[in-house]
Amino acid sequence: MSKFIYLTATPEALIASMLPPAEFGAYLSTGTKKRNKGQAIFFEVELGQIGKLIDIESLNRRCVAKSDGKPKSSVYLSVYKTLEMIPLSALKNLYLTTDTGHTLELKKSTYDTSREVLGKLHLFQELCPVTPLVASELTPSSFLKRLTDGSTPIVLPKLFFVDLKLGELATNPLTGSVEQLPYSNIGHLRDCLEILKGEYEKHMKTVQRLYSGSLLYRTIESGFYVGSKDEILFYPYPSLSELENINYEFFRSI
Amino acid sequence: MLSLPGATPFEVVAIWTVLVIAFFGLAYAMFLRRQVMAHDKGTEKMQDVWDGIRLGANAYLKRQLKTIVPLIFVFTIILFLSVYVVPPTEESKLRFIGYSDESLKLVIGIGRAVAFIMGSFFSLMVGQFGMRMAVQANVRVASASRRSFGEALKIAYRAGTVTGMLTDGLGLLGGTLIFIIFGVASPDTLLGFGFGGTLLALFMRVGGGIYTKAADVGADLVGKVEAGLPEDDERNAAVIADLVGDNVGDCAGMAADIFESYEVTIVSTLILGVVLFTQTHELSWIIFPLLVRGIGVLSSIIGTYLVKGSKSGKSNNALKSINKGFYSSAAISITAFGILSYFYLHDWHSFLSVVVGIILAIVLDEITKHFTDGSFHPVKDIAKNAKTGSATLLLKGMSYGFEVAVWQTLVIAITILASIMIYHGQPVTYILYGVAMTGIGMLTLTGNNVAMDAFGPIADNANGIGELSHLDKDARKIMDSLDATGNTTKAITKGVAIGSAVIAAVALFGSYITDVSKVQLQMGFDKATQLIETGIRISVPMVFIGLLIGGTIPFLFSSLTINAVTRAAAQIVEEVRRQFRIPGIIERTVKPDYQRAVDICTISAQRELIPLALIAVVTPILIGSLLGVEALGGFLAGVILSGQLLAVFMADAGGAWDNAKKTIEDGLYGGKGSDAHHAAVVGDTVGDPLKDTAGPALNPMIKVINLVSLLSAPVIIAYQKPGHASVGMFITGAICLAIIIGAITFSKRGGFKKEVFVP
Repeated sequence: MSKFIYLTATPEALIASMLPPAEFGAYLSTGTKKRNKGQAIFFEVELGQIGKLIDIESLNRRCVAKSDGKPKSSVYLSVYKTLEMIPLSALKNLYLTTDTGHTLELKKSTYDTSREVLGKLHLFQELCPVTPLVASELTPSSFLKRLTDGSTPIVLPKLFFVDLKLGELATNPLTGSVEQLPYSNIGHLRDCLEILKGEYEKHMKTVQRLYSGSLLYRTIESGFYVGSKDEILFYPYPSLSELENINYEFFRSI
Repeated sequence: MLSLPGATPFEVVAIWTVLVIAFFGLAYAMFLRRQVMAHDKGTEKMQDVWDGIRLGANAYLKRQLKTIVPLIFVFTIILFLSVYVVPPTEESKLRFIGYSDESLKLVIGIGRAVAFIMGSFFSLMVGQFGMRMAVQANVRVASASRRSFGEALKIAYRAGTVTGMLTDGLGLLGGTLIFIIFGVASPDTLLGFGFGGTLLALFMRVGGGIYTKAADVGADLVGKVEAGLPEDDERNAAVIADLVGDNVGDCAGMAADIFESYEVTIVSTLILGVVLFTQTHELSWIIFPLLVRGIGVLSSIIGTYLVKGSKSGKSNNALKSINKGFYSSAAISITAFGILSYFYLHDWHSFLSVVVGIILAIVLDEITKHFTDGSFHPVKDIAKNAKTGSATLLLKGMSYGFEVAVWQTLVIAITILASIMIYHGQPVTYILYGVAMTGIGMLTLTGNNVAMDAFGPIADNANGIGELSHLDKDARKIMDSLDATGNTTKAITKGVAIGSAVIAAVALFGSYITDVSKVQLQMGFDKATQLIETGIRISVPMVFIGLLIGGTIPFLFSSLTINAVTRAAAQIVEEVRRQFRIPGIIERTVKPDYQRAVDICTISAQRELIPLALIAVVTPILIGSLLGVEALGGFLAGVILSGQLLAVFMADAGGAWDNAKKTIEDGLYGGKGSDAHHAAVVGDTVGDPLKDTAGPALNPMIKVINLVSLLSAPVIIAYQKPGHASVGMFITGAICLAIIIGAITFSKRGGFKKEVFVP
């Protein structure tokens, strides 16, 4: 049986498994005993590129099939500062799993910064290594750069985040319709966006300090970003109509 | 056999033609059944899942028979003996001229008892046969969905039509047969026929409602909320009970419910028709409604056969096709009624009443759709309120539920007003006949309506089979579309079921007034003291008390049915939790014991039937015996009014909450898992027993009370003349009161043993 290496986002961990991505996602989200329930977001990692970072011998010893022949579900390799140590080139595809165990594969692509629209407000859910919900007037690439290049007192070595829908609030935070937005405390969100719109010096504003542990997959705007400074990996998220055709089971369960 | 004074050759031919049409409707049902059964049942895995549903359904039907048959036996004897308390009517003496009093009593007694058995049997057959057909069809629909949308739609709809045509055919057959045999004496026996159908419908509605929601709520609470399993997950021990429940509630229960409305409207029309015949000597008062029903059967056959889908399609296409069939039937019916009125009646009064009934059905459909369909403002508004939590969602749903009850009741009031205008200047019996004809018109398209309703659980079950047998994406898309269509058609037909129940109840109420007056006349009451002359005066304190008590009965009934669901659902929750702890079930290496959950639902549902039925049967006897027939009239008015308002409120608020949840699941406000969705799930869970158990159970309850009143009124009149308090009546009242208290206590306690299934 093959071995796979996964990097999960929340909580941050490097895990070896004999389960392929879809089965691993179902295992993470629903468990073997069905006692846990919760969505999972994880990358597949190229083992060849992290050979120096982990104890391969230990991995080979621990990640073996069970006595009844069933594949080993998980062997934890690292649980702290994990994203930071994995080179971006080692990250393969990204997988999103619903709390009912359906997994969607998102392919890695090159991010074209020239297509970014300036002057729009954004809502970023940071997923790893920190997890606040942040409103920003910066584009995704600028947001990533600002938090990772050391130009501000708060510096992260790498950041994994997702761009969420803001609807009309992206351009009109004061009176834009919030009809379709599912966020709680929408008044606070408006305030945060208003501040960003009004204050020239302000580029980011924390909307919510704590992450609920559950991302509403229908609210994803463009996709997922991971990187550091000018280096970005982008995992575009399909439109809902595309999603219906690509992965109907996942579409039905979100 | 038909011996009616004054019958023209056309009328004799017409009545036999109606009988032939009734058989033709049944033959068409059998023809469709063969078509459906000719389709394949899919893969081994699909048949394995289906087998669980089939066995569960069979277990329910078998146990239901065991509970009901002894009651049928008891009531048959009571109805037979009733002629020895109150002698047959003058019309019966006229029909069986030359018979001695004893022979006449025997004939009418046997007739009434046999009619009761026939009504019960037909109602049972519609429910049981319809449900078996639905179960046979669901796996075939799932299999066909692997090939084409059109084929799957056709199988599901035609299987539903089988139940529809059984309802049509058997309802028409019973009424016509009784009329052919008993002629003007038929009111004496028709009551037995109506009572049989209604009582069985009550059993099937209440039992089905409790079963379906106990399974649904129990399966969802543990499977979806606690364990995070998707809908219809094979590891959930209640999944098969849930799928069986869809058939039990929406197929067997609903079909029996509409059947009894269909039956009761013909019973009340024939009773009023016979009264008018004795006054005018025109047989058309009786023949026309039967011909209208016959035309309805033919137009339903044509309309339902037109329903077809394209090879690939979506929910909208299915709904369009079903609507095309419905409106085609309506157009054919109205045209044929017009021709019949012109050439046979030479008068437009009855025709207009029937057309008003068809319009009423369409208007009630539209109102229900407006308040419960996700594409209209009310449901969107309720969904929007989910953003601020379950409390606002519930309040909004209640607000719309109350509002729709107002509109529906006003529409029914306008319909009755239309009858008054159509028969303007005529005595009250004509107006009541007009109302009854409106009921006939409203249920003209029963074949289509029942087909639309039964389509729902078939599509739902097919989807469940698809999920459990892991069918491919394209097949799942087709079944999702059909399921969505089924949800809409189910909601629409609920509106018709409630509306028709009220119209039927009003028609029965009319029959009550005329029947009581007839008995009063027979017993030598002064004309001035007869009910038809005095009316039901709510200014009389006793009548007002009757009205007040009548208004409480639907609330009592709803309280007990909801309580029963909660209790049964709690047992299912415990059972599913217990099975989740069994090693291997979650890992899919061990199959859950589905039968256990099926048994819990089956036994819980049947256990609740008898006390609830007793309340419906005994309460009018209690009121009549203690307060008199006029107060009993007030009691009936109270039951009809509060029953109608409550039934519409519960059905439509529940439907609206359900669709608000579906709207959010389709992507609104973040979709599944959002805060709005959590709030909507609460709304749906609260609404489920309202819309599928308590609300629908009120339809047959209202009519059981009406029919028991009609049957018991002559006894009450005989033994309780004005100003003469009867000891016998007081004793009867005391016994009835004791039975009611016992039934309530029994029902609240949940039977003899509380925790039968907890290991």
